[in-house]
Amino acid sequence: MFNRQTYQCLKRIAWRECKRLVSRPLYIFAMVGAPLFCYVFFTTLMDEGLPTDLPVGAVDMDDSATSRNLVRNLDAFQQTHIAAHYPSPSEARAAMQRGDIYGFYYIPPRFSEELQANRQPKASFYTNNAYLIAGSLLYRDMKTMSELANGAAGRTVLYAKGATEAQAMAFLQPIVIDTHAIHNPWLNYSVYLCNTILPGILMLLIFMTTVYSIGTEVKERTSHQWLRMGGGSMYVALCGKLLPHTVVFTVMAAFYNAWLYGFLHFPCHGGILPMLLASLLLVLSSQACGVFMIGMLPTLRLGLSFASIWGVLSFSISGFTFPVMAMHPALQALANLFPLRHYYLIYAGQALNGYGMAYTWPSYVALLLFLFLPFLVMNRLKTAMAHYKYIP
Amino acid sequence: MKDVTLKQKIKQGFQSLFHIWKEEVKNTFRDQGMLIFFLLVPLAYPLIYAFIYTGEVVREVPVALVDDARGSLSREFARKVDATADIRIACLCPDMEDAQERMRRGEAHGIIRIPGEFASDLAAGRQAHVAIYCDMGCLLYYKNLLSACTYVSLDMNRDIKVARAGNTTGRQDEVTAYPFEYEDVALFNPQNGFASFLIPAVLVLILQQTLLLGIGLSAGTAREKNRFRDLVPARNRHYEGTLRIVMGKALCYFMLYAVVSVYVLCAVPRMFRLVQVADPATLILFMLPYLAACIFFSMTASAAVRNRETCMILFVFTSLPLLFISGVSWPGASIPPFWKYVSWLFPSTFGINGFIRINTMGATLAEVAAEYRALWVQAGAYFITACLVYRHQGRIGRRHLRDEMRRLRRAASRQQQLAAKI
Repeated sequence: MFNRQTYQCLKRIAWRECKRLVSRPLYIFAMVGAPLFCYVFFTTLMDEGLPTDLPVGAVDMDDSATSRNLVRNLDAFQQTHIAAHYPSPSEARAAMQRGDIYGFYYIPPRFSEELQANRQPKASFYTNNAYLIAGSLLYRDMKTMSELANGAAGRTVLYAKGATEAQAMAFLQPIVIDTHAIHNPWLNYSVYLCNTILPGILMLLIFMTTVYSIGTEVKERTSHQWLRMGGGSMYVALCGKLLPHTVVFTVMAAFYNAWLYGFLHFPCHGGILPMLLASLLLVLSSQACGVFMIGMLPTLRLGLSFASIWGVLSFSISGFTFPVMAMHPALQALANLFPLRHYYLIYAGQALNGYGMAYTWPSYVALLLFLFLPFLVMNRLKTAMAHYKYIP
Repeated sequence: MKDVTLKQKIKQGFQSLFHIWKEEVKNTFRDQGMLIFFLLVPLAYPLIYAFIYTGEVVREVPVALVDDARGSLSREFARKVDATADIRIACLCPDMEDAQERMRRGEAHGIIRIPGEFASDLAAGRQAHVAIYCDMGCLLYYKNLLSACTYVSLDMNRDIKVARAGNTTGRQDEVTAYPFEYEDVALFNPQNGFASFLIPAVLVLILQQTLLLGIGLSAGTAREKNRFRDLVPARNRHYEGTLRIVMGKALCYFMLYAVVSVYVLCAVPRMFRLVQVADPATLILFMLPYLAACIFFSMTASAAVRNRETCMILFVFTSLPLLFISGVSWPGASIPPFWKYVSWLFPSTFGINGFIRINTMGATLAEVAAEYRALWVQAGAYFITACLVYRHQGRIGRRHLRDEMRRLRRAASRQQQLAAKI
């Protein structure tokens, strides 16, 4: 099947495609410009890793040495920054609605007085969970601070009774939780998100470029010429056409690997080679998906719509923000049809946790299975290329 | 030059405006592509999205337990952790090796290890340590494991403290456990739900993105239909003034989106029972400049679209950066200054924040005044840019026509000369 003539055809079509790619700024934008922009955008946006010094309000109705100390302690926490003091809870709430603060700590009147009299006063903290990440981070800080402050109050009493520090701590906090966030001890959001978002953006653009470059052949009435150059074989025509894309996208994929693991030193415990292999498979499987999309819906507009919706949904359904296990069972099954889902599993298994091939191979195989998709639509695509007219 | 009174001119202007409006409405409803963007995507996409996140929270994350203490206290700890809604103990492992193996196989997303000295430490009045190890592939696993274990440890600590203190009254016990009490209040999203947090932002973004796509498509189509690939047809009586073109088209989109946004912003949250405490009048007043800003922004951006389909390649991928830059998933206070300024260019930044505050947090117009004003400024600025773009395009169109006429005239005269010679 693979003879000299086929090779010549492939070469000629690939050369034709190269010329087409450089002839329009659109391709350069979609294949190089947009991915590069997103690589830089997401990594610089979340450069801080974990948000620090989120603005918080203090409503100190007591205004005593004890309550001021509480507020000062809270301010010293890494994620929290006391941005303002408010005279009443309702004003603090209004500030929250204005977006000035993400939460506030309320200390009621006569707090220290009741504390000293053993009357167990009650402090409260309010977090704005409409902004979930900021709200959760502040919740953690405020809760820890409240616990520590409670301990501090008890500790003073215990010290006065002659307890050592170890004894006092053992009395105040008998059980301690030691948290080990495996391989991301900094809780770095950039590590957590960028590792899947950057490949996801690339995947979306591969979908679009593949669909567009094939669909536009019909639109520009060049599909006959294209098929002829492939010697009437859709396979040869398609391979020749997509080969230059594969090269460019693989370079772009290698670039984000170099950027993340080489330059930004994100954790890569499984070695770089499995990740490069995964990236190559992601490129190929996305291209295969693209061919399938335009093959199923051989109208440029519908094909691109399919590509957009599948590409954008990938980010939600791949489960790196909201786990797949918490979704509807139907969606759990559907998630397997998204290349990004498997890429995410490979990333978590390889780069983040370093489990090795023995545990991650099913995801590699899943990405490989996507490569069979084009065979399902090959005849349909050929008919479309040979007979379809462009419908706007 | 004909003398046209101002009154006539205004009358003509309005006639043309409504003519253009009518044409655009016709185009929109005839064009399947535009119907997809203006109706199908806003109708269907929010439903899919809300369906994905409809569970709101993650429950019962499987974790492995390594209990080296095997005593009644460690069992109590394990039992209480298992009883929380956040996690469930999926397997009891004899040692860490086995637990790690479970994690590798994906059967568990975390390990709780209770050391052998747990009970003896507690009995001897030393601090007992429980180690937890979390899979960081998804931060919600970490959050669940940490909060469940912290909750249980605080609960048990309280009992242990009270038992050791040897008080006489119940009230004394309470004070021993907690010299002061505290309560946490999760405002505006009490169940800590993922949908309540993300969906409102996505809904507002969908409006802007579909407008960008739809208007881009319309511009691309206009160019493809035009003989000279121009956006504004020359030699058409109705297309002579910039203002009437921009206003006519904008009016069409605005009318359509007035309906679409009611569905997207009011019906969808209701269907999925998301937090919805907006004051209707406030919401309407706020959406007015948002839609206007989006429409004029899209009309400006649409000048970059050469073909019908290119708008999708240009605009679809921007959804994700726009969502992040708006300061919802990544806190706005932590966005680097440069990107903060960039974010001010897009109506979605102010639209999303304003909508969340009005819809989810019950803010009034006074509280979103900054966003509200910014949106009006954007609407004004993008209206001017849209006018400039269309004026420029109109000039290009007229120039093309003029060149073409000149060419034809020259060809005709050459033919005449030729004929005269013969």
